[in-house]
Amino acid sequence: MAHLLSFIVFIPLVGGLLVLLTPKTYEYLYKVVTLSSLGLTLLLSIYLVAGFDTGLQEAINTEQQLQFAEKADWFSFSLGSLGEISVDYFLGVDGINVTMLVLAALVLFIGAISSWNIKKHQKGYFGLYLLLSTSVLGCFVALDFFLFYLFFEFMLLPMYFLIGIWGGPRKEYAAIKFFLYTLVGSVFILIVMIGLYNSVYDPLKTAEAANLSVSGMNTEQIIEAVQQQVESGAIAKEDLVKSFNMLHMANDANYIPGSFLDKAGLSTVFGQPARWIAFLALLIGFAIKLPSFPFHTWLPDAHVEAPTPISVVLAGILLKIGGYGIIRTAYAMFPDGAYHYAWLIGFVGIFSIIYGAMNALAQKDLKKLIAYSSVSHMGFVLLGLSAMTVEGISGAMYQMFSHGLISAMLFLLVGVLYDRTHDRMIENYGGLASQLPKFTVFVTIAFFASLGLPGFSGFVAELTVFIGAFKSEATNGAIPFWMPIVGTLGLILGAGYYLWTLQRMFMGKFWVKDKHWLSTLKDLELREYIMLVPLVALTLLFGIYPALLFDLINASVISFVDHISPLAK
Amino acid sequence: MIDLHEILTFNSSPFMYLVLALMAVPLFSFFTTGLFGKKAPLWASFLLLLNTGLAVYLLLTNIHAELQNFRGQWFQLGNISITLNIMVDELMLIMSVIVNFISLLVHVFSMEYMKHDKRLSLYYRYLGLFTFSMMGIVLFYDLLLMFVFWELVGLSSFLLIGFWFEKKSASLAANKAFIMNRIGDAGFITGLMILFTQFQSFDLEAIKTLMLLSEIEDGNWIVHFMNNGEQVFNSIDGRWLSAAGIALFCGAVGKSAQFPLQIWLPDAMEGPTPVSALIHAATMVAAGVFMLARIFVILDAQALEVVAIVGAVTAFMAAIAALSQFDIKKVLAYSTISQLGYMVLAMGIGAYSAGLFHLITHAFFKAGLFLSAGIIIHQLHALEDKDVSFDPQDMRVMGGLRKHMPKTFFAFLFCALALAGLPGFSGFLSKDAILLNLSAWTDHKGGGFYIPEVLAFATVIFTAFYTFRMIFLVFFGEFRLPSLIQDAKLKALPKDGNAKLMVPALLLGALSLSLWFGFTLEAEGSWLYHLIETPVFLVPVSYAATSLIDIPERYFEALHTIIPAVSIGFAFIGFVLAYLAYKPGAKLEKAFVNRREPVGPLGQISFYHWYQDSLYTKIILPFILLLSRCLAWFDAQIIDRFLDGLAKLAVVLGHVTKWFDKYFVDGLVNLTATTSGKVGQLTRSIQSGKVQTFVVMSFVFLLLILLLLMF
Repeated sequence: MAHLLSFIVFIPLVGGLLVLLTPKTYEYLYKVVTLSSLGLTLLLSIYLVAGFDTGLQEAINTEQQLQFAEKADWFSFSLGSLGEISVDYFLGVDGINVTMLVLAALVLFIGAISSWNIKKHQKGYFGLYLLLSTSVLGCFVALDFFLFYLFFEFMLLPMYFLIGIWGGPRKEYAAIKFFLYTLVGSVFILIVMIGLYNSVYDPLKTAEAANLSVSGMNTEQIIEAVQQQVESGAIAKEDLVKSFNMLHMANDANYIPGSFLDKAGLSTVFGQPARWIAFLALLIGFAIKLPSFPFHTWLPDAHVEAPTPISVVLAGILLKIGGYGIIRTAYAMFPDGAYHYAWLIGFVGIFSIIYGAMNALAQKDLKKLIAYSSVSHMGFVLLGLSAMTVEGISGAMYQMFSHGLISAMLFLLVGVLYDRTHDRMIENYGGLASQLPKFTVFVTIAFFASLGLPGFSGFVAELTVFIGAFKSEATNGAIPFWMPIVGTLGLILGAGYYLWTLQRMFMGKFWVKDKHWLSTLKDLELREYIMLVPLVALTLLFGIYPALLFDLINASVISFVDHISPLAK
Repeated sequence: MIDLHEILTFNSSPFMYLVLALMAVPLFSFFTTGLFGKKAPLWASFLLLLNTGLAVYLLLTNIHAELQNFRGQWFQLGNISITLNIMVDELMLIMSVIVNFISLLVHVFSMEYMKHDKRLSLYYRYLGLFTFSMMGIVLFYDLLLMFVFWELVGLSSFLLIGFWFEKKSASLAANKAFIMNRIGDAGFITGLMILFTQFQSFDLEAIKTLMLLSEIEDGNWIVHFMNNGEQVFNSIDGRWLSAAGIALFCGAVGKSAQFPLQIWLPDAMEGPTPVSALIHAATMVAAGVFMLARIFVILDAQALEVVAIVGAVTAFMAAIAALSQFDIKKVLAYSTISQLGYMVLAMGIGAYSAGLFHLITHAFFKAGLFLSAGIIIHQLHALEDKDVSFDPQDMRVMGGLRKHMPKTFFAFLFCALALAGLPGFSGFLSKDAILLNLSAWTDHKGGGFYIPEVLAFATVIFTAFYTFRMIFLVFFGEFRLPSLIQDAKLKALPKDGNAKLMVPALLLGALSLSLWFGFTLEAEGSWLYHLIETPVFLVPVSYAATSLIDIPERYFEALHTIIPAVSIGFAFIGFVLAYLAYKPGAKLEKAFVNRREPVGPLGQISFYHWYQDSLYTKIILPFILLLSRCLAWFDAQIIDRFLDGLAKLAVVLGHVTKWFDKYFVDGLVNLTATTSGKVGQLTRSIQSGKVQTFVVMSFVFLLLILLLLMF
């Protein structure tokens, strides 16, 4: 199917427009349109995965490794002596984002089911939700930095309103906090994007602009010829067509000699090589989104105030854009910076793991507890990445996928309780297992999945991160042995806060703080089963049969590690 | 050079499915038992009977057959293949019979014991889940898969300890068990990390083959092999070799309740008694020892010393704790910890066969003790009504039950004599094997290594003491309950249970006789002891421990007669002391009934298990909770405030730069601004005023940076 990715990305937008155009008298259609457009997106993305070639092994910074790629000139204009701006409409998937795309489609679909109870301003809600869907999906498949950034920024707007209008009591504060934090992150990213744009050229377009005689040469030869000529200065600066192409940015040979971020790394900022600083800026920009210590404090507030479906989407996918961004931009473009700062990243990773878990232990609000557990689990992503080994990177990606499923499940379950009592305080409940046995079964499953019990996807992810991180010192020296060992503390603390919560809320004699809840505390209903059962099944599936995911990412991760760690060999 | 790929050849055969059925049947039981309602116990027991039959069949047909294994790929991680490996060896065959057999007995026993429970079918489902997970540990010859099922037995143990979750103590005990196990498992994972880094595989066959090829050079642990045609050369500090063994052992410390993580096991007695028999006495807690047996050959001298010392210390500490308990299940729990200590000690000194031998004999007699105790508890509980309420596990309400429950008495007595290590009973043989090897090990090692021996022999006396104390208090003298409940009258006297209760207990009592293991007074004479051969260490020579096989025969010669004599003598001392103190009418027996807890510092130390629990619950746990609250405060008050402050500062700065921008930025910037203008147009229509300000701000930042970059 041609333009499959475009369909996947823009079907929700079309749905959103439909919602906007549908008059309020046909309100019931909003849900139908939302569900069907996201359902279609999900089906198409599954179709895409089915057609994904897992054996394709090409260098990570070439377009040959992309599948389902779509590329078209979007706009370009001359900046005079600064060369030419050229922005492409460029989408594609490889092993690094294909899993994220499916995850996004799935979680958005489940989020849509979970939005069934939304009563207020349905038109606005579903319109924004679909807009959010498009920008999230676009963000994962856009390979032009400009386009990526556009999707990335676009996410903020619907999210801001979804929290700010449909949220809890302190929704305005939470919304603006979420917005500000992410915006600060995007400023960092924007700075580097500009810097990159000034330093990277597009070899093919440059060949055209410089009127190189290319007859009889294939693409690779042209690229090589252009790169040689740029290196030797044979092509005039004015003829260089600068590029936002993220794959070009990940190739040292495409950096203009003497430019700000060129591979020689002569430029400095604050006495450090500019490339390292650029890496750090991207890292911070995305780490805010991830979120990692110390930029995580927006997350608990945003989660506590956000309505259930938005929490699900926030934890399930938005956080993953942080991790994905670090891989796709920071690591791919500045592996030297990644290696230089590996220790710091690894340390922040284990610190987030332990700090998040310790904070979760102290929380009184169930949703906040889960928010902090997300911080802890995202620490694994950083730990895995910092190792720069195949296992570490695979583990980080597995963790993102797995956490997407598990956190969606957890937030849905909190939502189930909140729907019934409008209260999330752990201390206000006791012995729920006798009153809500089915709900308890799902909570128990979700808790155990999240604490990394084998059989669930979280275990595979954490184990892979650990072995990858430990391997680092023995192979590439990126992070020391002790880091993963200290990180295992996270496993113990994870069991601690989940089981303690389980014991306080669900075990013992049935007791609730407010007598009125007795009548509202009903066990799970059909709609809730429809959301929860697939998530449980998937966490189990990816825990028992990890090949399903690893086969998709293996080839790309190997190329990726070859690309980022020449030292590792 | 050897290629990992050649070691990890994939193979399968129809026979494999028969072996896998050992796991599939209990799993099937887990899924289907819920459908049978009141018939759930029958259905689950029927499936377990099938499985036991299958296990016995496999044992009989394969015990002397060549080793067989089945391997397939689980998943591919980068270039490395993560495999699944099932090994059909003696250990696996014997363990699967024991696990299934005891599980079957517990299934039958529970039909009566649990029949009034409202969640009966759930209980049987959990038993199925446990049996499935336990079989996973037994079957897989692969450390990763072993870990997977290792944690799953932890889950089933958690679910069964907390089965009566309405009781707060039960749910707390379940949590404690899981978390203590998790602490050990963090170590297990560390061990996995080390071995995987070095050998690129979790498959025990690969690990063992490559371990044999690895060398120590200049203090570095080096291994050189091929993986899929690619050369692999791994070199890490040699200390990681010892660390790997010790880290894996941590897992066993958690699961097999060894010092310092053993405190979960006494609390685990909150679960139903048949569960205690199956999981917390016979099978799951022995999984740690089983795991040590699986990794035995890759443990180096240092790791083994740690294992031995931990085992000896645990055996001693728990035996002391068992001396003064009132709760019959607590005595048995401490006794289990102590006996597990023996097994771990045996592994540590290299007495592989002896350790496993004791695992097997202990599985029978301890399960028997728990089931017999379960009968007593069940029958006493039946006497409770609205007027009469007491703790049916408390030995203070028992006494004289020999007359009322003669069959139970015999079942209990046989198992107890095996525990005390009296000749003619199975425990004597296996304990003798351990003590014999321990003495030879001590003599050979010299230095400070006499400590484990001292502790182990002292434990012999204590074991006999608490065993006979229990027998006297429960079965001899007068039935104390009637005099304790004063005004109320008992509706009946306790009596033996029905066949569902008695048959399993009596069967296990019979299996505690040594004749099943050989007509002999020495471990050497037992067929089972000979069947389990001690393997040779595979670690590089400079790190390897001296194998017991290599210890000169002269160390053993004299011991063959001395050790059994000493062991019998010590057990006799224990018996005499117990007799003097707790025979009917003795001073202590009388005082004991009216006491709320033992007196004197020694009694207190024993009763409170060396105050280890207090250390955790009164010092470490509150400290962690306090720390977590401090961090939560720090998070909310410092980090969040600080970042909020920064955000406010940025807003102020934004206004300043906006002003600067308005008056100072020149035409060149305006040119660039058109670009941003284009972007702005795209988004502007949707944005509210507030949001717009931030977007403007971000572009101001961008322009500043652009200026920076250009000049």
